[in-house]
Amino acid sequence: MSRKIILLTLLGTLFVVFTMSMIELETLYNDYGKLYFLENGFADTGSRNLVTAILLDYRLFDSLFEAGILLIAVSGVIWISKHDIEEKNAQFMIDKYKTPDLFVTFSRLVYPLMLTFGFYVIINGHLSPGGGFQGGAIVATAILILYYIDADKETNIGLIVTVEKIIYLLIIVLASLSIFTRGTFFTNFFALDASPDTKAIYLVLLNVLIGFKVALGLWTIFTAFLKEGR
Amino acid sequence: MLNYITDLSLIDYTAYALQFLLIFIAIAIVLHKNNGTIIILIASFSLVTASLYVINNAPDVAIAEVAIGSAIIPLIYVISISRQREFIVLDKAMDDFIISDNQFTGVGYVLLKRFSDFYHLELNITNDPLLCRLGEGKDQILCEETNVDLIVTKDPTTNEYVLKGKASNILMQKLEQMTKDYHNIKVIKFKDRDFGE
Repeated sequence: MSRKIILLTLLGTLFVVFTMSMIELETLYNDYGKLYFLENGFADTGSRNLVTAILLDYRLFDSLFEAGILLIAVSGVIWISKHDIEEKNAQFMIDKYKTPDLFVTFSRLVYPLMLTFGFYVIINGHLSPGGGFQGGAIVATAILILYYIDADKETNIGLIVTVEKIIYLLIIVLASLSIFTRGTFFTNFFALDASPDTKAIYLVLLNVLIGFKVALGLWTIFTAFLKEGR
Repeated sequence: MLNYITDLSLIDYTAYALQFLLIFIAIAIVLHKNNGTIIILIASFSLVTASLYVINNAPDVAIAEVAIGSAIIPLIYVISISRQREFIVLDKAMDDFIISDNQFTGVGYVLLKRFSDFYHLELNITNDPLLCRLGEGKDQILCEETNVDLIVTKDPTTNEYVLKGKASNILMQKLEQMTKDYHNIKVIKFKDRDFGE
């Protein structure tokens, strides 16, 4: 009982502190950055979506490490789920008789729509909300749904991880191309005064690469989970 | 303060209501015992968070939250929970119920083997002396704190074999149905205790 009271007091304190910090936020707030991005964002980067503009142009250096974190996480998951003994029966374990038929049928219906929506979010990342990471996550969910439809599907984790690493290297190369055209690393490789449509080519390319990288990374993570415990 | 409340628009009220809902869902996740319910609650937590992001003009983050928080993570949890495929039995009876002549040929072993084969589980019988030496009263704590699914003991007065397990474990209900024809086997299910009790 006393533990319960302590827990509730802690939760209450957290709530009060959080509310107070939200009130204090007004005094800390300034909008120089916001105004700058609103004014120059589209002209500088050719992206209607200012989040993508910051992510793939102004702060591309940070984004590269964010993509790297996912790669490290994937490596960690694979390392933990690695088995020394070669498993005789390493098939997937979503049992046919345990997955409801309604779920399987509905998945068949939804799967192509999810895939299409994922690619839409990836390719339209510079025009509408979304981008490589979000679209990649949606595509990965679609692939995960596929395992519920076809339980006996076999996947080669090694191949997926290799492709993911190659795509990550491609992202770094594409991001570094600007050293030859603009003289600085990690920005758009088209000239600063090029038209927004031209600059969008670079954004779409990078978004597609990041989308594939994220989709493959998440695919690897849940493939490792599926194989575990068989 | 009153002015502040009357100036709020509908969208602000929605935001406050969603924030309170978020707190309730978070407490429910902590307090619930059933894994399936917790997964659904986690998914709904992400959904409410995503709608709060949309209200605060962050659709990019909302899409990521919906895709990861309410699709991938619940599905991964479902997979991991369905992967718990080991049925661990602690044998405290110490007679020929399970092990006779140093071999797994007892009546109880055949019963449990048939049971675990039926549910595609891997039967793992242990008589770890450290765990076996604990008294009768510690059985419930043993079930809760370790990954032992079932404890087999013998009642010295009635010569009945007692199978003990957690009531929240769905396998215990199946085991009770299966063993109700055996007159010398009794099943005891421990009720789950509240958090912190």
